[in-house]
Amino acid sequence: MNLERLPNEEKLTLCRKYYFGGFAFLPFLWLVNVVWFFKEAFVKPTYTEQLQIKTYVKCSGLGFLLWVAVLTTWITIFQHFRAEWGEVGDYLSFTIPLGIP
Amino acid sequence: MTGRGPGTIIGFPHKRKLVTSIKLFLFFCLSDVSCNSVAQKIYVELNNTVPCVRLLNATHQIGCQSSISGDTGVIHVLESEADLEWPLSKGPNPPYMVLLESSLFTKSIMMKMKNASSRVAGVVVVPKTSPPEFSPHTTCPNENTGVYTETYDHNLAHCNTTVWNPRGNGLSYEEFDFPVFSLKEDNETEVIKQCYFDHNRVVNGSGLQYPLCAMQLFSHMHAVTDTATCMRRSSMDFSTSPVMVCDPLGGYNVCAFIRPYNSTAFGHKENESVVIAAARLDSKAFFLEDSTGAEGSVSGFVTLLAAAQALCEATQEAPRTRNILFAFFHGEVFDYIGSSRMVYDMKNNMFVIDLDNVHSILEIGQVAVRSGTNLFLHSDPVSRRNNTVHDEVTNLVKNLQSSTAGLNFSFVETDFSQPLPPSSFQRFLRARAIPGIVLADHQTDFNNRYYESFYDNAAHLNLTYPSNLSPEEQLEFVTDTAKSLTEVATAVARTLFKQAGGNNSQVNKINADPKTVTQMLYGFLVRSNNSWFQVLGSSLRCVFCLSEPNPPQYYVGVAKSSHQANALTYLVQYLLANLTGTATNLTQSQCKKPDELPNESTYLYSYLWVQGMVPPNSTQRESFCVRTAVRLVKAVSPAFDLGDYVSKEYSTWTKSQWKFIKARIFLVASRDLEMLTLGVGVAVLFTSLLVTYFVSTKADVLFSSVREPNNAAY
Repeated sequence: MNLERLPNEEKLTLCRKYYFGGFAFLPFLWLVNVVWFFKEAFVKPTYTEQLQIKTYVKCSGLGFLLWVAVLTTWITIFQHFRAEWGEVGDYLSFTIPLGIP
Repeated sequence: MTGRGPGTIIGFPHKRKLVTSIKLFLFFCLSDVSCNSVAQKIYVELNNTVPCVRLLNATHQIGCQSSISGDTGVIHVLESEADLEWPLSKGPNPPYMVLLESSLFTKSIMMKMKNASSRVAGVVVVPKTSPPEFSPHTTCPNENTGVYTETYDHNLAHCNTTVWNPRGNGLSYEEFDFPVFSLKEDNETEVIKQCYFDHNRVVNGSGLQYPLCAMQLFSHMHAVTDTATCMRRSSMDFSTSPVMVCDPLGGYNVCAFIRPYNSTAFGHKENESVVIAAARLDSKAFFLEDSTGAEGSVSGFVTLLAAAQALCEATQEAPRTRNILFAFFHGEVFDYIGSSRMVYDMKNNMFVIDLDNVHSILEIGQVAVRSGTNLFLHSDPVSRRNNTVHDEVTNLVKNLQSSTAGLNFSFVETDFSQPLPPSSFQRFLRARAIPGIVLADHQTDFNNRYYESFYDNAAHLNLTYPSNLSPEEQLEFVTDTAKSLTEVATAVARTLFKQAGGNNSQVNKINADPKTVTQMLYGFLVRSNNSWFQVLGSSLRCVFCLSEPNPPQYYVGVAKSSHQANALTYLVQYLLANLTGTATNLTQSQCKKPDELPNESTYLYSYLWVQGMVPPNSTQRESFCVRTAVRLVKAVSPAFDLGDYVSKEYSTWTKSQWKFIKARIFLVASRDLEMLTLGVGVAVLFTSLLVTYFVSTKADVLFSSVREPNNAAY
């Protein structure tokens, strides 16, 4: 889909849809939002809807970074301590490697 | 219309060339059978290997583990302990695959390699001559599952008074994180040594030239940490099918009553008193599948089999006051799997008798390596503090000592304060104070210098046959070891007869048969595929149709969910059946379903179809049906039935599963050469990309000069 051909109101609607959609535990939707609308929000010359699009892009970016932080922390902890957690670690795992703790 | 052949199509001259080239390719391909295996030119597979595998119990994992894609190392043949410096510190091409001869397979060398395991990729052991002594077992076998715990008697726990296996170095119970394999001494070992001498030999301490001879060992084990973890992981349901990572050890005990009971009626039998005669079936070694156990287990159960035969011949007529149970326990090495199961079954009314019915126990331990003419009677000092138990034990000792009249040895009681050696009787004592005696050839510590190792074989028992005998003649030849074990069997049979209340005047007619004993020793220790075992064996279960003449495996193995026992259990079952049962006239179909006949009962007896002999003038075997009281009783640790995988009470041994185990040798190039090849390949890739890019951007310049003449012609 080429954003050039859309009128500004439709761009705003699309950006809003992606922003609200990302709250359903979909951080990649926020990433797509940021990457796709970045030029529209910060590079293009000003137009009426641009301020709202900028807000949405910034919030999506923040949300995505928050998800990245949370997931990285959890993954690091889990990978490091899974063996020590014994039974709990095994019940949390989907596949358990063979032959190593 | 020129005369072309039917196969050609006009206007397609290339097709004939294609067909011809295909025909030529097929010709060359089919004439060389392995036309597509470059792998066969590189690797030499080693087929005759025995790996060290991983075993787990409630608290530890023992054994060896390789990485999932195998461990590769440059082969180094170790010549002495000082030579260990080369693989551990001096050698320039780590990691090394160390090849040892059996005299160098000691605890100190293995521990040094374990500590430097980043430079050692694996160890290969080539068994040759036996060292003077070697026992990879612990010094106090089964110390936590016997009867001597802190609460039973503080002074006797953990072998405080007598260390039973002082030569034990505990090597079998160590954990190694590199693979350890054992090779048989044959052509493959020669190939490896030849490869080593051609490529890897150090000349005057100077550097080695690549390519070097290397070996790769695959023995990746799936289970890890301990039994509770691996049983939990085996039973988790995932969306795909669950992966079993370990199996509990276990097998079958072989039991036979002289006067059988209804096998469906479990629990206490009123007014029945039983004397249990017990022996152990299994043994182990560092490489589990190589276990032989000549003195450790074979001496005991062969004596008991011979005693059973002698007793059954003499007691056809007279009923006695007490019954006798011949029990052969399996899995005793791994914390008393078989005997703990039987005691558990007796306590929970899952066996035909219970502990109240047991009058006394006589166990035959290691009896073949005597240092003198005495055999020793071990008893438990703690239970003998009770006067009734003490009187019964004294009575049993008296019966034993009087039954050696006329024989060339005598029974001597050991020191009163000495505890029992590791024996199945200890599990019975753990449940109840039962009077009993364990027979052994050692007074304090074991006479067995190779306890639970792969050197405990026929040579250790001095089973020597004159060299000019054929295998059939060797089978019949009565060795000195057989004679001494026959005497022990005679004494045991007479004692059991007296314990069961038999008439004293009949006692001296009971004699064990030396021919049976020597045939059993030959079959169990030298060659199983002999004519006697084939006669007595089953035609259905072809476990006796062993292609190699090796003795059966004595390691207990995993408990299979199907009702399949291992070869040793079947051998002992069929032998006991033939020695104590009666041959009948039933046909094969009647033998499978004897209940339809008026005099036969499957409640009391089991019916086995035996192969029989080949009569001199025909080729067909005369098979027959044997009616016997021998039964196989499941011997799996109660911990697995109870689901208590951290049990301190019962055995929790499991064996890991694996996908495949193999070994191969090949030549390796230096790391520098590998990197250079990779670098050149990557460089060629980028160069070709660059060239393609430039050619495509300048295409009109490069190719336009070809087009112009055409345009000019137009």
